[in-house]
Amino acid sequence: MQDKIIQKAKELLSGGAVQVVIGYGQGTGDRVRAIFIQKPEDAGRLIMDGRCVQNLAGYLMKHEVRALGRAAIVARMPVLRSIAQLMYEEQFKDSDVAVIGISDANELVDLPDLNALKEYVRANPLKLTPEEQAEVDRLDAMTREERWAFWMEETSKCIKCYACRASCPMCYCARCTVEVNQPQWISVPSHDLGNLEWHIMRAMHLAGRCVNCGECTRACPVGIPLRLLNQRIIADIADNFGEEEDYALAAFKPDDKEDFIR
Amino acid sequence: MAEFEPKIIAFVCNWCTYTGADLTGTSRIKHATNVRIIRLPCTGRIDFMLLMKAFARGADGVIVSGCHPNDCHYTSGNFHARRRWILFRSLLNFMGVDARRIIFSWVSAAEGAKWAEVVNTAVKEIRALGPYDEYKNLAPIRASWRTEHAG
Amino acid sequence: MSRIGVFVCHCGENISATVDCAGVAEAMSRVPGVVHSVDYKYMCSDPGQTMIKDAIKEKKLDGVVVSACSPHMHEPTFRRACAEAGLNPYLCEMANIREHCSWVHEKSEATTLKAIDLVHKMVEKVKKNQPLYSIKVPVTKTALVLGGGIAGIQAALDIANAGHKVVMVERSPSIGGHMSQLSETFPTLDCSQCILTPRMVEVAQHPNITLYTYSELESMDGFIGNFKVRIRKKARCVDEKLCTGCGLCTTKCPTKKIPSEFNEGLGMRSAIYVPFPQAVPNKPVIDKTQCTFFLKGKCKVCEKVCPTKAIRYDQEDEIIEVDIGAIVLATGFNVLGAEHFPEYGYGRYRDVIQGLQFERIASASGPTSGAIRRPSDGTEPETIVFIACAGSRDEAKGIPYCSKICCMYTAKHAMLYKHKVHHGKAYVFYMDIRAGGKMYEEFVRRAIEEDDVKYIRGRVSRIYEEDGKLIVKGADTLLGHQAIEIRADMVVLASAAVANDGAEELAQKLHVSYDPYHFFAEAHPKLRPVETNTAGIFLAGACQAPRDIPETVSQASGAASKVAALFSQSELTREPVIAVVNRIAPPLYSTCTGCALCVPACPYQAIEMEEIKNRDGVVVKRAAKINPGLCQGCGTCVALCRVKAIDLQGFSNEQVFAELMAL
Repeated sequence: MQDKIIQKAKELLSGGAVQVVIGYGQGTGDRVRAIFIQKPEDAGRLIMDGRCVQNLAGYLMKHEVRALGRAAIVARMPVLRSIAQLMYEEQFKDSDVAVIGISDANELVDLPDLNALKEYVRANPLKLTPEEQAEVDRLDAMTREERWAFWMEETSKCIKCYACRASCPMCYCARCTVEVNQPQWISVPSHDLGNLEWHIMRAMHLAGRCVNCGECTRACPVGIPLRLLNQRIIADIADNFGEEEDYALAAFKPDDKEDFIR
Repeated sequence: MAEFEPKIIAFVCNWCTYTGADLTGTSRIKHATNVRIIRLPCTGRIDFMLLMKAFARGADGVIVSGCHPNDCHYTSGNFHARRRWILFRSLLNFMGVDARRIIFSWVSAAEGAKWAEVVNTAVKEIRALGPYDEYKNLAPIRASWRTEHAG
Repeated sequence: MSRIGVFVCHCGENISATVDCAGVAEAMSRVPGVVHSVDYKYMCSDPGQTMIKDAIKEKKLDGVVVSACSPHMHEPTFRRACAEAGLNPYLCEMANIREHCSWVHEKSEATTLKAIDLVHKMVEKVKKNQPLYSIKVPVTKTALVLGGGIAGIQAALDIANAGHKVVMVERSPSIGGHMSQLSETFPTLDCSQCILTPRMVEVAQHPNITLYTYSELESMDGFIGNFKVRIRKKARCVDEKLCTGCGLCTTKCPTKKIPSEFNEGLGMRSAIYVPFPQAVPNKPVIDKTQCTFFLKGKCKVCEKVCPTKAIRYDQEDEIIEVDIGAIVLATGFNVLGAEHFPEYGYGRYRDVIQGLQFERIASASGPTSGAIRRPSDGTEPETIVFIACAGSRDEAKGIPYCSKICCMYTAKHAMLYKHKVHHGKAYVFYMDIRAGGKMYEEFVRRAIEEDDVKYIRGRVSRIYEEDGKLIVKGADTLLGHQAIEIRADMVVLASAAVANDGAEELAQKLHVSYDPYHFFAEAHPKLRPVETNTAGIFLAGACQAPRDIPETVSQASGAASKVAALFSQSELTREPVIAVVNRIAPPLYSTCTGCALCVPACPYQAIEMEEIKNRDGVVVKRAAKINPGLCQGCGTCVALCRVKAIDLQGFSNEQVFAELMAL
């Protein structure tokens, strides 16, 4: 697999199709990190193994990366989903990005353009794995007071470092609402209220957009299981609205079902 | 000891529920005094953050109300709002926030009596739940100007 | 610091009976930023308004809160008063302490405290109010009328007679619509053609009306006062300027056995044809699907016989672009097709026909020149059965609604039959007789009492043919469901009125909403019956719901008066309560991320993406842009926007937040 990626990266770079390949390379110690290959002869530095789970799509949105020219990106399923969503949000044109797609079965997928990518993502709708669903269900099974205690315990660790935001490819807003102070939507201090408001807001802003890559949870330095919130919403969207819309909150059905409106 | 009087903030649309509450008035249907209405053009305008801020401001309950489905003055604002509420309510519940304290309803401009009932029921239910100290204790709340200056 | 004035109204005793108004005013006087706080018996009275105006001038107020009744009642009054005193009207807000407080609570401390809260929150809101200015939108004083039936004709003539330009588009080769097919009209039995034809001619000759027949709407862009429409003028294959309408081509055309649409299939027409003798314009059109030349490449008889050489086989569709200020939708209705009535044998038995076919048979210009004859063998029917509610009020057929016109035209049909076949027997099966309308009930009574039409309350279960007769089986529910069998020569179904073909597609092109039956939806069922939810688009006639001619004509005139009112000014003034996308200093230019998720959420298609350019003309950003002409101010986009880049004037985030924080 790694060889195939290196080969593909070489081809793309030497043919001039892209100016930079974004992939995984050796980091400090045993860790992998994002690397930016600009010369075909450097392609050998690319790595692909079990450690390569970071969602690299966020880099595509950075000015510094865009300045390097057309990029190719090593993309597992969550990255492909991110790109599809960002495309729907008009953040990319076909000419901006090429992908070296890797399927969930760990095989190279040929996605010649972003339309092919869109079709591929559409054919593989986002679903929680049974393990993920079980974890969501475990919380649902608690009493409300237990859930409150659970999240109070978790969010009390939050130091509002915003690593969750920085690592998320969907959090590309130039000025996040947490920084808006006229009016002050989110309480500034990292106290219980400020933390709760921040995490509710982030989950809602990702509703219908989150691709369940888990980057927020991996990035969190204090270990808050943030992705559970997004997973709850992902399951709700699938259960309530189906999967056909690109963005569930900008769409509706006249007969959307609920059981709480009087 | 005096009965607990919950503080309830209502976010309502201008065309149906606000007008319906006007009708409650013109019909002189008496109901509890606990609710303060904030008027917005449409339920589509009601940001979920406003609901959070209402609790942060010390509300014990929140009412959100607008036009019945298919009756929206803006055709589909309430449909968008409904989707938002479905996800938001589930998320709050998942986080252990007491979603029973947010009462959603459709009250049309003709349903003056229904509005009074929504208000009375909300007051009764929230009173039974007690003050929302759990949320109020998250951070100190400055007393409102009125409680400090006008009784 | 703000300089707010608070004016607490007693509303006689309406408020002061339960709320301590002086107490409220006193409490407000202590709120920071309030420089003037008074109470008065009638704020809306002349002296009351003068108090406000004087205070604005004397105390240099920059915000006013009138605590009185509902803003739905007097907001315009007090905003006008503020404007007259030189204060921007949008710096005035009302606190509703009557409907929402004094009228619904007993006199108590809690009631007064609630009033204080309601006023205080508006004081805090007003501090965040910004002066707003009415939006001016230029108006193109040309109306587009879609559909050339009686609804479209009436609307077009009324608008044109008011001195405005009208473009009329009709998709068939002639205007006239269903009304031109009718024989006589209820309840007066005057001849339909006789009253309609002069109006059709007037449309064609009116200097203010441009008529495009055999044309359809291709696309529509823009907004009220400023629509841009593209019209597809289908190729007639006839040069209309040269054609004199002599009709030689239609008589010489060798392809003559085509069922005539105008005669509902009961008569024949040629491949080059004029739909009916009184057609406007009286110019033929070649039916390319039937013409021998188009099918086989040879013939050209019409070209040879045409004295003015007007035939153009190579004519192509033409796209015409027009600027339009308002649109009247008058595209009419259709009747339920044969496939829906297997139990009545419609489509299987030639003598089971529907109402419009009977109109043609009864019409002097019809296939039988007005003599009542059976389509199968041309004999005069001795016994005739009319079935009302054929499809209508029938959930099973998907039409739960009443088609409204059938009761009356069925009575008319029965009467016309009896007037022409004196010895004949006419039966009407009905569910209920709905004859609400001027002289309508009398008309039905006349059919029953004077013309001896037998009305049977009950439904027909089945019709089958036996020995050349149609056996109609039904039950009389007024006689305890007694089974009834009538041996009829002819059966006429009052088949349900349904939305016209393509109504849904047209509604989508125009961004107007439609009901579950695909009839176009009015903005309000009672108070705005001729408007759609899209500003500048109006409704006339049966495209909205089944209706008869008098209703259609009055609605068309209503729509026309709406258009005329719109065109009476060169600029349109609109409330500035609309959404706006923020602009901030470079390098962000706007906090909008350009994600475009708001675009599909807008109920009015008012949001599009625009490119922001720097001074060198280089595109630096893509951001949402809200068209102030289209935005209706619902704020759905505001709540949807993650970055709060969109805000709603008059109900801005800061304003609502300030209200909330005051509680």
